[in-house]
Amino acid sequence: MRGLLVAILVAGPVLAGIAYSMLGALGVVGPGASGVSLRHLQVVLADSATWWGLLWTVWIALASTLLATILAMGTAVAFRAERGVDRFARLVAVVPLAVPHVVAALGAVLVLSQSGLLARLAFAANLQTSPADMPPLIYDRYGIGLILALSWKEFPFLALIAFSVIARRGALLEETARSLGAGPLQTFRVATLPALWRGLLPSMIAVFTFVAGNYEVAALLAPSSPLALPLLTMERYTDSALDVRGEAFVLVLLAMAVSLCGVAAHEWTANKFEAAE
Amino acid sequence: MKASRSGPRVGLTLVLAIGALLPLALLVALSVSVEWFYPTLLPGRWSSANWDFLGRGSEVIFSSLWTSVALALCAGVVSSIAGLFAGREIARLDGWRRRLAVALAFLPVAVPPLALSIGLQYSLLRAGLGGRFVGVMVAHIVPALGYTTLFFVGIFAVFDWRVEQEARSLGANPFDVLRRVTLPLLRRPLVEAFALGFLVSWAQVPLTLLIGQGLVNTLPLELMSYVNAGQDHLAATAGLVLTIPPLALLVVAGLAVRRLRVVIA
Amino acid sequence: MQWRMWRGDPSINDYVDRWAAPRLLREYGITLRTIDGQGPAIVNQLVVERDARARGSADLVWINGETFNNLRKENLLYGPWAHRLPAARYVDSLSPIVMRDFEQPTSGFESPWGRVQFTLIYDSARVPAPPRTIAELARWIRANPGRFTHDQQFTGMTFLKSVLYAENGGRRSFENGFSEKRYAEGSQRLWAWLNGVRPYFWRRGETYPAGVADLHRLFANGEVDFTMSYNENEVITKVRQGVLPRTSRALVLRDGSIANAHFVGIPFNAPNPAGSMVVANFLLSAAAQLEKLRPEVWADGTVLDVRKLPPELAVMFRGVDTDPRAIPRDTLRRYEVSELAAEYTQRISRDWKARIRANPR
Repeated sequence: MRGLLVAILVAGPVLAGIAYSMLGALGVVGPGASGVSLRHLQVVLADSATWWGLLWTVWIALASTLLATILAMGTAVAFRAERGVDRFARLVAVVPLAVPHVVAALGAVLVLSQSGLLARLAFAANLQTSPADMPPLIYDRYGIGLILALSWKEFPFLALIAFSVIARRGALLEETARSLGAGPLQTFRVATLPALWRGLLPSMIAVFTFVAGNYEVAALLAPSSPLALPLLTMERYTDSALDVRGEAFVLVLLAMAVSLCGVAAHEWTANKFEAAE
Repeated sequence: MKASRSGPRVGLTLVLAIGALLPLALLVALSVSVEWFYPTLLPGRWSSANWDFLGRGSEVIFSSLWTSVALALCAGVVSSIAGLFAGREIARLDGWRRRLAVALAFLPVAVPPLALSIGLQYSLLRAGLGGRFVGVMVAHIVPALGYTTLFFVGIFAVFDWRVEQEARSLGANPFDVLRRVTLPLLRRPLVEAFALGFLVSWAQVPLTLLIGQGLVNTLPLELMSYVNAGQDHLAATAGLVLTIPPLALLVVAGLAVRRLRVVIA
Repeated sequence: MQWRMWRGDPSINDYVDRWAAPRLLREYGITLRTIDGQGPAIVNQLVVERDARARGSADLVWINGETFNNLRKENLLYGPWAHRLPAARYVDSLSPIVMRDFEQPTSGFESPWGRVQFTLIYDSARVPAPPRTIAELARWIRANPGRFTHDQQFTGMTFLKSVLYAENGGRRSFENGFSEKRYAEGSQRLWAWLNGVRPYFWRRGETYPAGVADLHRLFANGEVDFTMSYNENEVITKVRQGVLPRTSRALVLRDGSIANAHFVGIPFNAPNPAGSMVVANFLLSAAAQLEKLRPEVWADGTVLDVRKLPPELAVMFRGVDTDPRAIPRDTLRRYEVSELAAEYTQRISRDWKARIRANPR
């Protein structure tokens, strides 16, 4: 019982924030509040920009998480030995974890933009003559540069977990599979991959939730349409027309709803795999 | 493991190293130059102007650096200790109660910082904590505590409670058990939890901005204002300064882990 | 005392921190502390402080335009006080740009600090013969696809307002406050102009840089050939800082260059309003205005009427402006037009986002 109380304490501020946002969404509090009204809700929910923003944000979060997972699994499997090269690789893989998101976003702009490092290398190799020759990777409607930047930032976290999964169970599983006559690819598919997947899935969901809410990286790399949910929220919250700001609270609630789904999914998968162990 | 596959392995390592470190190298180059435009591969003019500027505006930069360090240290210490107790209590639950508790603890982690800031701003300001170091510290502890609590739930999930039970059966009171048996076993996780709380606070932007109301200036906020003003070279310089403590912490935590493993194993 | 101002430009920070602050300390015993904050953030801040009955975090705020409008609407400003300042008599009170903030009379609730004018910025090495009017610009854009765009924030919206004026026979059409009818007619022509050139914008007009800083980066790296600024001298300071290439030049559009002043105000809950007034007065002093005007410092226009000053001070003002790249003062004055009522800006911004930005094709 004590545990539940403690958990409520930990979550307390968030619950208070949700309550305040609800009041703000109904027009009771906040800048430009004018009393209870459903106007903000109606405006926001009827606006197609809201739903496109939500969809686009979910797409980015999915793609970044998947890419980060593949990178993490790949690194863990390729560099699982205890030799110097492998240990160095594992160390290098963790570096992006220390780099703050804003810094990573700036780096991505400078490397991936049409006039960035990649473009300049192509220019030096005579593969292009002007920035327009370079395919757009940032501010593009698929968010390629944004996905790359977010994956770069999140893959060390998943890699660390993958390393420990491989270290703990990798050798045993592989020997078992090998002794049963499986080749290297089969071993991976049948033994290693499921173990990695089970170990990583809860964290993948955590990464998904985190990426979906990130503001700083999207601010530097995302296109203006569809406008990602965090950017849309910030825009409404700082709109020069005061009464528009109530709409920001509705968007905040939407973002929190996404997080809640993420939390629920995380709990469900974590328990499923715990039961299986 | 076959040794003959070292060639491609080295190649792969190189790709990984370049991918991971290139952005940092780029930032270093930016920080010691001005006027670096397309299509030049090397900066137009090398210059120490950026580091000079940071050194000159030293009152602002160093005070923001110091504020960041102080906030992160406090957040790290408080969240790691509180997280240990919280995680322990939650780990002792089971069934639906445990699942609910873990989900609750997960909320501060999952909720976007921007959303959290907008939601929290009013309450913290009402409590008179707005624009004060203490207020921002409290705000940072909210997500940090979520991370450390979850971390310790994981630790205690595989913790062998029998150790505590045996000590208790030998007549030790709960406080002694904690102090003499449990905590020493958790030294490494405490260090890791501290690092976790520290990092969560260190890179924080929205919470500091909205609760600190501009009165509490941290290095990430300085960085944001440089980026928003198009001052890429200054931003890169500040960004490097911002990256050094977490890197150092990772190295130290890594070394500590290795040393402890030798001792324990 | 605390001054909430935009801290994004190192030149401005240097002027305030290293020139103004020591003198304030020496001459008036005031310790000036600046905190970062701008526009909507300031409004949000004060609203939340009022709702939460928290203590005031700033004594002085750097504001203009819509921010001033919003703060007045919500009664978040202390005042009136600005007309009581000793230095106020030297202010150029005949200029509508200085005395009216986006058509709203300042009424003593804010004190003028500086003035700026909107210009395009181009690279003389890449575009030796730039267009001089909106119509010429449209032709240039069509002839050079993918080499022009504007940002989504204040500067970009000022550009759109310039197009609004040009397409509607000048600012005259929009005098005397906001009119829904005139807005509807005027904006139709604005959208028509935009839709005509949009396919030739950078990235085919499907996406726009978030702020003017991103636009500067595109320009500096050759992705577009124009950037813009609401400060006619920003090109000088940015070249000096190494942010823009050395061959960058400013360009005043013959259809009219929107001018506006920026001000300082005192929040309703300022702990030290008297101190703020001293600082505001100091900022209006000839010495402070002169220093601010220097191209190597900030190159921000003065709000003083030089003719009202004692002769020995007036002479010093005429002596500044030695930067060869600066646009001559009389050229600036010839094409200056003042801002519209704030509601026009809000509507343009909102409608642009809904009609143009949200529809990439």
